Amino acid sequence: MSPGPPSRRGRGDANPNPPGRRLIPRRGVRSPRDELAEGTGHGHVYLRGLQRTHLMLSLLALVAFGAIFGVLPIALYLLPAFDRVRLLGAPLGLWIVVVPMLPAFVVIGWIYARRADAVDEAFRELVER
Amino acid sequence: MIVALFAVGAVTLGTLGLGTWGLRFARTTSDLLVASRVVTPWWNAAAISGEYLSAASFLGIAGLEMQIGASALWQSLGFTAGYLALLLFVAAPLRRYGSYTIPDFAEARLHSPGLRLLAAAIVLVIAGFYLVPQLKGAGLALNVVVGSPYWVGVAVVAAIVAINVSLGGMRGITYVQAFQFWIKVFAIAVPAIVLLIHFGGLPERAALFGRSLPHAGSTGFTVKLGSPQRAQFPEAGSFSVHGHSVHVKAGGWVTLPAHTPVRIPPRGIVPVASGTQALPGDVWARPVGGTGRGAPVLVYSLLVATFLGTMGLPHVLVRFYTNPDGHAARRTTVRVLGLLSIFYLFPAVYGALGRVLTPQLYMTGQTDDVVLTLPHTAWPGAGGTILTAVTCAGAFAAFLSTSSGLLVSLAGTFSHDVWPRLRHTTPSSPSSRRLHFRLAALGAMVIPGLLALVVRRVDISILVGWAFALAASSFCPMFLLGIWWSRLTARGAAAGMVAGMLVATSAIFAGLAMGEPTGGALALLEQPAIVSVPVAFLTMIGVSSRDPRVVTDVESQMLALHAPEGLGLRLGDDEAEGALA
Repeated sequence: MSPGPPSRRGRGDANPNPPGRRLIPRRGVRSPRDELAEGTGHGHVYLRGLQRTHLMLSLLALVAFGAIFGVLPIALYLLPAFDRVRLLGAPLGLWIVVVPMLPAFVVIGWIYARRADAVDEAFRELVER
Repeated sequence: MIVALFAVGAVTLGTLGLGTWGLRFARTTSDLLVASRVVTPWWNAAAISGEYLSAASFLGIAGLEMQIGASALWQSLGFTAGYLALLLFVAAPLRRYGSYTIPDFAEARLHSPGLRLLAAAIVLVIAGFYLVPQLKGAGLALNVVVGSPYWVGVAVVAAIVAINVSLGGMRGITYVQAFQFWIKVFAIAVPAIVLLIHFGGLPERAALFGRSLPHAGSTGFTVKLGSPQRAQFPEAGSFSVHGHSVHVKAGGWVTLPAHTPVRIPPRGIVPVASGTQALPGDVWARPVGGTGRGAPVLVYSLLVATFLGTMGLPHVLVRFYTNPDGHAARRTTVRVLGLLSIFYLFPAVYGALGRVLTPQLYMTGQTDDVVLTLPHTAWPGAGGTILTAVTCAGAFAAFLSTSSGLLVSLAGTFSHDVWPRLRHTTPSSPSSRRLHFRLAALGAMVIPGLLALVVRRVDISILVGWAFALAASSFCPMFLLGIWWSRLTARGAAAGMVAGMLVATSAIFAGLAMGEPTGGALALLEQPAIVSVPVAFLTMIGVSSRDPRVVTDVESQMLALHAPEGLGLRLGDDEAEGALA
């Protein structure tokens, strides 16, 4: 158990750069890093952009999950034909539930994680350029 | 069952020994941080899966499958899919934020000490609810291994886990939990595969997928009951006691005597214990439909509870802190999905074989036993005995790892969040804090232990479904809105969690009080998530939008949640380590 993270107030005051590397900010030329660290209006736009991209990606993955898995119970309910067709002696509906869904989750998760890392990478390049 | 006793003893001693020995290397909560430098995502994923796979996965799914058939299998899909929800919305931001526990997150994100106390109270309720089925499984398993009464198993495992946790074992020991995962996979997969080979696939397809109800095999069977049992003959049939045969008409109730052999003739219909369900094969094999628990609305309610509840389980979240950064948290979660997918292929085999080969469990009402008793009952001789020893050892690994993880969360929350607040003192010294933790670990086992004695007749799967429903209707909305919605306020979060918990718990207890809810809207009392989760979300959003007291530093909060590491925008690793040590 930890005492909880320290208050995040005042983080913007802390010097975000290591001492030796700090560039002297010239008026009008400010890096995205400074904008973010100082919480300016531009920083707000950068952060909201990152957050929105991540949320869209997650919702897209959720829609894929819903389309594959979420509709399955109602589809099996409305189409009893799944129970009459036999595969290796067992009803097809049973096979669909037991076997292909679990690998499908892994595939959705894997693709999502790759894309989410790419989003982070793009943001990193934006800040570090 | 000497072999089984030996296997269970080996797993128990091995777990406790490794936990205590591993502790020599790492004493404090920061062992998680230290471990994070060396633990790879694969080890982490195995550890998370090891702590996650509980009595519900190991025993409960197969037991419920015997009763309600293929619709029980949604549970294994939901348990796995929960990690997809965790991956998509919670894993990386929460790791970046750096909160160890749910109360930590609640207080830090919304600046409300009161909310921390509320979250701590909910952690206690959820962890307590989740401990009950673990102890029930322990009671059943010890009964199978040494024939002890139910309460003895509950008491023994509760005592072992409480003493071990209070002495400091099993705390954050990644490698022990990772080994536990592989023990469980071995213990569920190998007997299932060997049995399938031994019987040449699924036997008696007619009984599984045809129109027939569970019936005795070609030689009949004999059962000695521990206590008198009310049972119903779904079709006309007979049983005999001391060679004296009794014929019963269809739908007739009988009371089967205890301590005497009750014999069901060859191919005879099996009487079904009251509170247990037996379905004709074609209904049994249908994943959705039929009556009661197979109804679509209940299936969806269960899926909502498991999909959204996993992220709110207190013992799951703390493990994510072992990941060094958000990127690793994502990679770990994908691996967890893969590892759980291996495990969850197998419980279905036991339920299907059990329907045909151990129909006496319908008569005793102990279908939760099927994973343990199936091998040696269906395959008399050395082979079956060894396989039963293997499944018993796996079941014990499941109880020990999950209940230890839960008890650590319970005791930690009580000693760290609740006790100081009640006494209005800050924890004075590390030694008194450790004493509080130990006392809490011993005390926290009492209520779940007593509850486990009361709910003996309730299926393990139902009990675990409640814990998931509670987590999904309280912590899930707080995480999802807290991470993705900047307008969430402390008052809104508190109101939503209270509303969700109230709806869920009152439905569960109303269902318990009314007895067996069988179908229609009443069945939702058994799994209320599809109602309680939207209530929690809507309350949280509604109250927050009207609340004037917004969180003022929400910009830096969102930066801490969403900005990638290593940009100098967040607390550096060194600083974080210093703050947490």
